[in-house]
Amino acid sequence: MVDSHNPPSVGLSSGSGTRGATYEGVGEERVWRAGGLEPMPIRPLPEAPPSIHLLGPTVFLVALGVGMGESYMWPRLVLVFGPEIRWLFLIGVTLQAVVMLEMARYAMATGESIFSGAARVFKPLMWFFFVTAIMVYIWPGHLSAGASAFEEITGIPWVVTACVALILVGILFSLASVIYDLLENVLAILIGVLVVGTAIIASIVGSWADLGSTLGGMFAFGYMPSEMFSSTWFPIVVGSIAFAGPSGMQQMWYTLHLRDSGAGMGAHVPKIRGLRSAKEEEQMPSRGFMFDTGDPKEMAKWRGWRKWVTFDAFLLFWGITMLVTISFTVLAQSASRENPNVKTLIEGGDRDAALRAMSDAFAAAGGPVLGGVFFGFIALIGLNATLGLFDSFSRGQADMTYNHIPGAKRFRLSHLYAGFLWGVITFGIMILLFGPADGPSGILDILAFLSSFAMGAYCVTLLLVNNRMLPKPIRPKWWSNAIIGFGAVFYLGMLFYSLFRFGVVLD
Amino acid sequence: MHLFRLARLTLPGLAVGFIAGVLAGGLAAFVGQPAGWALVSALTLGVPLGLLGAGYTMLLINGKIRLGGFAPAAAYWLIGFPLARMLHEVLTRLVLTGQPGLPPDPLGFLAYQGIVSAGFAIGFLWLHERVAPRYWQRLAAHDPDARDVYLRYAEHARAMFEAAERRKAARGRKPSARTSVR
Repeated sequence: MVDSHNPPSVGLSSGSGTRGATYEGVGEERVWRAGGLEPMPIRPLPEAPPSIHLLGPTVFLVALGVGMGESYMWPRLVLVFGPEIRWLFLIGVTLQAVVMLEMARYAMATGESIFSGAARVFKPLMWFFFVTAIMVYIWPGHLSAGASAFEEITGIPWVVTACVALILVGILFSLASVIYDLLENVLAILIGVLVVGTAIIASIVGSWADLGSTLGGMFAFGYMPSEMFSSTWFPIVVGSIAFAGPSGMQQMWYTLHLRDSGAGMGAHVPKIRGLRSAKEEEQMPSRGFMFDTGDPKEMAKWRGWRKWVTFDAFLLFWGITMLVTISFTVLAQSASRENPNVKTLIEGGDRDAALRAMSDAFAAAGGPVLGGVFFGFIALIGLNATLGLFDSFSRGQADMTYNHIPGAKRFRLSHLYAGFLWGVITFGIMILLFGPADGPSGILDILAFLSSFAMGAYCVTLLLVNNRMLPKPIRPKWWSNAIIGFGAVFYLGMLFYSLFRFGVVLD
Repeated sequence: MHLFRLARLTLPGLAVGFIAGVLAGGLAAFVGQPAGWALVSALTLGVPLGLLGAGYTMLLINGKIRLGGFAPAAAYWLIGFPLARMLHEVLTRLVLTGQPGLPPDPLGFLAYQGIVSAGFAIGFLWLHERVAPRYWQRLAAHDPDARDVYLRYAEHARAMFEAAERRKAARGRKPSARTSVR
């Protein structure tokens, strides 16, 4: 423990950090002062866990990230432009893996969410994300894909399934004692089944040639067919790159899951509880903590955490996202061989018709059960995304409300979480029942609309937060900054290019 | 070791491999044939994957591979998964046509299965690590081997728990740490 008698050896005096952030001794405690918010007291950094069975938060990113982009949009692009187009997917997912590492840097070093980091830099930046989250994520579009697939299997109308699922999700999260633990376990089993099942099905349905062309296409750097630069395809291609892996604000929410899982300095912050056991919730601190970056032992532990999260980012996140997309691309290729009509439908862009045609193709090749299995996997992906999104949205909004809206601390964080959760559920049911529900695809498009803008904005936020709010020894390396900077230019640049050149937003 | 005890001890790997094989493999290979044929196809993949899964668990129990390590699991399934799939192909062919035979381009087949095995290994390990420690905890009272392997997991978990308790205690001493910061 660092105290006034044994202070951190680096940057004790004011000005030892850089503009906006310094180590200081205040009263009897040493603190890290960053931005305009409350300073962070110095606390010891816990030891990093050594092996895979203690991994956790990546489950959320995988659950959120492996969605329609992986199971539908990229297979579609491969059928339209050929496997060579996949190099763009490689770029997109790798960029997201680096973003994940940088999001984790701030969250693990401070136990704060990236939203609080943004508020330390410039409070309106955080409010931008607060409003964007509401605009983008209150729509129940993500439910529709999985529920439609469930309708194909069972015949139950998708609106009924979606409404029941919404209520069940609310009850599940309200009854859970510690929400994170429950959700991590449920998602882990679902994703485990998805990964094992997809691998086996791809091993049976696919072929060396399919896999070879899919993998080879990932390294066809620079391949850009001229048809790509049309008002029809450009927004879809660039939107699909943005959709490669977690899109929109999902990476920002990952910092909340990291904190709740006790990663790094998140260990000093209590967990969010379900409504039923909200009274047991410990007092939430109103700011995070910092460790002594001048102590070599603390820095060794920090390197342990960085290794842990790098393993998470590249093996689990990058690996599983790649695996699922490659498997679904192989499935789409074999389906279009079985039934040329599939290719036409997929190219045409009617997702539901295309998925149905793919299922039919598998049914023709392998019996009706196989067609059902295909829809089962789509439903599973939808369920994963739904569980993850509802929890993440409520967690993010509750975090910002609790920490930054005056008077909100009268409530417990768990109550705010429950409020946002049931709010989004109620709104979702209203929209599903009475909204302009002209079919599932219509709703999903709204999600895609602001995705790129939020992503460009969080890249800029990351650069500011990690380079100005953290002590120098744990700031990102230049190449990492360069990649995140590229991300900001790419997401925002492509969005505005598409808007001005073709008059359409990304799809 | 008695066969029943061995099966009981290695049930996590056995179950994950078997269920994955039967559910996904069996259904995917259900080529519009009668239920009996589909069952055969499911079992020809589920049984080898189940046995190989049990083998992995056995190696873990004996301390031959480290807890939760990805590299050993990937290496194990790099060999095991293509073998199980080859057996599945050969046996399914035998049952369906009455003639034993390899898939066309056996080397390409094995290479493809080898690559897919990495994905299977991630999913297998992921599920195994979720299921096994809790299962061995239940078994620990009756089975010394289960107790040993569970204690290895528990040792690590205890260290984590104690660290968490220490932190909780530290928070208890300063329930409103922010008051001293200002």
